[in-house]
Amino acid sequence: MQVTLKNITLAYDQQPPILTNFDCQIPDGQLTALLGPSGSGKSTLLNLIAGLLTPSAGQIIFNQTDVTATDSRHRNIGMVFQDYALYPHLTVRDNIGFPLKMAHVKQAARYQRVAELAELVQVTDQLTKFPQELSGGQQQRVAIARALAKQPSLLLLDEPLSSLDATLREELRGVIRQIQRTTGVTTVLVTHDQEDALQVADQIMVLANGRLQQVGTGRDLYQHPANLTVAQFIGRPRINVVPLGQLPAAFKFWWPTTTPATTLGIRSEAIRLATADQPHLTATVTQQIQLGRDVQTHLQTAMGPLISTAIPTTTDATITVTLAPAGCTLFTANGHRLAGGDRNA
Amino acid sequence: MAHPIRTTLWYLLLTAGAILTLLPFGWMVITSLQPAATTLTATTTWLPKSLQWLNYWHVWQAAPFARYCLNSLLVTVATTAGELFTSLLAAFAFTHLRFYGQRWLFALMVALMLVPGELLLIPNFITLAHLHWINTYAALILPWLASPFMLVALHQAFKAQPQTLYLAARLDGASDWQYLWHVLVPINRPIITAVALLQVIGSWNAFMWPLIVTNTDALRTLPVGLMTFTSDQGTNYPLLMAASVCVILPLFILYLACQKYLILGVTASRLKG
Amino acid sequence: MLNPTPTLKSTLKALLYLAPLLVLTAVFILWPLLNAFLICLYTKYNYYTGHVGALGWANFSYLWHDPVFHLAARNTLLLVLVAVPLSVALALAIALGINQIPRLAGFFQTVYFLPFVTSTVAIGLVWNWIFRLDGGLLNRLLNLLHIPAIDWLNDPHYSLAALIIVCIWQGLGFNIILFLAGLNHIDHRFARAAELDGASDWQRFTNVTWPLLMPITILVIVNTSITNFKVFDQVYVLFHGAAGPGDADLTLMVYLYQKFYVENQMAVAAACGVVFFLCVSALTLITVGYFHHRQRQLGGR
Repeated sequence: MQVTLKNITLAYDQQPPILTNFDCQIPDGQLTALLGPSGSGKSTLLNLIAGLLTPSAGQIIFNQTDVTATDSRHRNIGMVFQDYALYPHLTVRDNIGFPLKMAHVKQAARYQRVAELAELVQVTDQLTKFPQELSGGQQQRVAIARALAKQPSLLLLDEPLSSLDATLREELRGVIRQIQRTTGVTTVLVTHDQEDALQVADQIMVLANGRLQQVGTGRDLYQHPANLTVAQFIGRPRINVVPLGQLPAAFKFWWPTTTPATTLGIRSEAIRLATADQPHLTATVTQQIQLGRDVQTHLQTAMGPLISTAIPTTTDATITVTLAPAGCTLFTANGHRLAGGDRNA
Repeated sequence: MAHPIRTTLWYLLLTAGAILTLLPFGWMVITSLQPAATTLTATTTWLPKSLQWLNYWHVWQAAPFARYCLNSLLVTVATTAGELFTSLLAAFAFTHLRFYGQRWLFALMVALMLVPGELLLIPNFITLAHLHWINTYAALILPWLASPFMLVALHQAFKAQPQTLYLAARLDGASDWQYLWHVLVPINRPIITAVALLQVIGSWNAFMWPLIVTNTDALRTLPVGLMTFTSDQGTNYPLLMAASVCVILPLFILYLACQKYLILGVTASRLKG
Repeated sequence: MLNPTPTLKSTLKALLYLAPLLVLTAVFILWPLLNAFLICLYTKYNYYTGHVGALGWANFSYLWHDPVFHLAARNTLLLVLVAVPLSVALALAIALGINQIPRLAGFFQTVYFLPFVTSTVAIGLVWNWIFRLDGGLLNRLLNLLHIPAIDWLNDPHYSLAALIIVCIWQGLGFNIILFLAGLNHIDHRFARAAELDGASDWQRFTNVTWPLLMPITILVIVNTSITNFKVFDQVYVLFHGAAGPGDADLTLMVYLYQKFYVENQMAVAAACGVVFFLCVSALTLITVGYFHHRQRQLGGR
């Protein structure tokens, strides 16, 4: 099912609006991630789609139907919450079967469907337990199964992984991906963790400050960030940002001197050791950290501090580095990426 | 930590206190088994030779205790169930629904918690008298169906549940009504049992109000009936004590069965300030 | 649902859930509350016809000049002033004891709480029998100690004492439970820390436990005071509907009952009820004030 938000505004008296004239479209049958820092309005958006919040103005459209005024019970949505929200007094079986019970499905048919869902999320051997007897990962699987019980046309996941530890996160990402593929249900995943989005989603929507910053695949967002906000949000370590004016003259010939850009973003992998014939600048190594496979090198240069991940372990205190054009992006004063400003196009 | 002498002293003190607490109960049971009408002349012995179990039978013969019992049971069950019903609905609304005047109304309810029932005695009596409801079950039950205390206690408990539970239930297709009875009530069973028990105790033992609004045997509750029985029997203590045992025993059993809930209720109700 | 501001629709829906409670509250609490304040101002009130002569302070001036009311107020105050400190001190001691002992704590708790679930009327009859001059248990026990028998229920010097004993006996369990809850609430680390600092048991009690128990103690004191202000059932049963020898056990509530039910002086009784309400409210407000003050001191909201 395709979801369209049209001109959505959400505001309360005496408070700055949370969303203003917001538009977006969530494509049918795909897994879309809503990615953004906390306070960006992504959970608000999810609650609007779910009908838990009512917009002050605008329309929410499912396929061709306007559901803005429809109660969330009748929107046929499955939702998974960060704290799982499992019913503590019901067994796993009855938790998963709860939506069916509310829909007056007979017990035999209900248990049949519960068995299928338990199979799908691999909790078949936990069916008679109570939620508090399960681990966090298992609880989240049950929550997903429950959300899928009534075959929703839309599955909403609100920060489903953020209360899990790293290993379980990894595992659950796989589960979510696989379940979405198997069922083909249109899915929206809200997360503040770019790795969740990058690993799981077909398409990522980056939100910040109540605005949609960019929509695209993980590759799009990394290589062609629409603006500085996206560039800074996607990628770890954070993109290096320097004022264009401080760039040594040796690099300036890359762009016409009349460029309206004011800021240069340099990805960490674009800062490399310079060979003799390359334009270069001198840098002091302040710190080198081995982060698993990568080495993060903190540098102090005439342009300010930089972080590189493309410099091998060294004992030299001072090195000369160069910038690879492929990892450099120009931004205008208002943060927009300068069209054609990146050299990797 | 263990200090044998001090611990022994504590045990002695507590045992002495326990004996003093239990003494009236023991004295009641023993007297109830004495031969009728001999207690004032002969000395009551702690272990009488023949236990007069028939005293209990005589009590049921001498006064309409079955009727009193039935009335007490009816009033207690109706009051508790009714009060739970009104409080559960309202506590749900205060917790999950938004309405105009919400804060104001809740503050009013909290304030009404402080109004002692004794102050309302006279105006309520006058209202019921003008409605010609004196000597009806309605008079015994209706004025007690609204309890700000129970509302506030339940609201506190409901508020402590994660709100996502409500949202999840709504998305699972449950109506507010279904959420209340299928989710909220079952998961709050301990506190609901606790406040219900407090009400059961209060209703079963209530004296002043039933005394005022009833004056026929057909409507008297056990405590009032017991008082009537006393005026009839004078100083026939074995019978009076047997009757007292009958009044006290049901709640004793209930208490022993649900002790932990009751203690939860007492602490939850008073420690919130 | 998550929208913080109500709409007409959500208000109507909430009203549906609130209606039973609101209607009953309005009819049986709010309306009588206002009425109580009205009735106490009725002068020359005829209850049967509903005729009200005029509004005024006559009922309060009646109370002011009524020696019987003075007696009731005096008795009630005496009851509160004697029963409350004794009850609170005993309850605290017993709770501390239960908290200290390694075994049987549950048993003692169960025993001490029994009077709370007991019908006042039924156990009042038992006390009536215990206090009797001839054949009563108490005098027999005193006899064993060679103390001459006391006519507890007919001697005005002792009948209030008898009432106080009954009130303490019945209220103790409730206070013990509150104190136990308070003691459990105190973080054991404080006591442990004090112990490591080398504090003796008594020092630990006065410096750690007692100050931390203060809020509960205040709560218990106020609660017990209010309960004892309301004493009625015990008197009625102990003295078979009378107020003790020479009205020695006439409490405010018994006075109210007599004016209201026996003498049909509704307006005077209502005035008495209002006086009682003001006393209880003052007590409550003082506590609320104390807790507010304390919360501010602790840097709370």
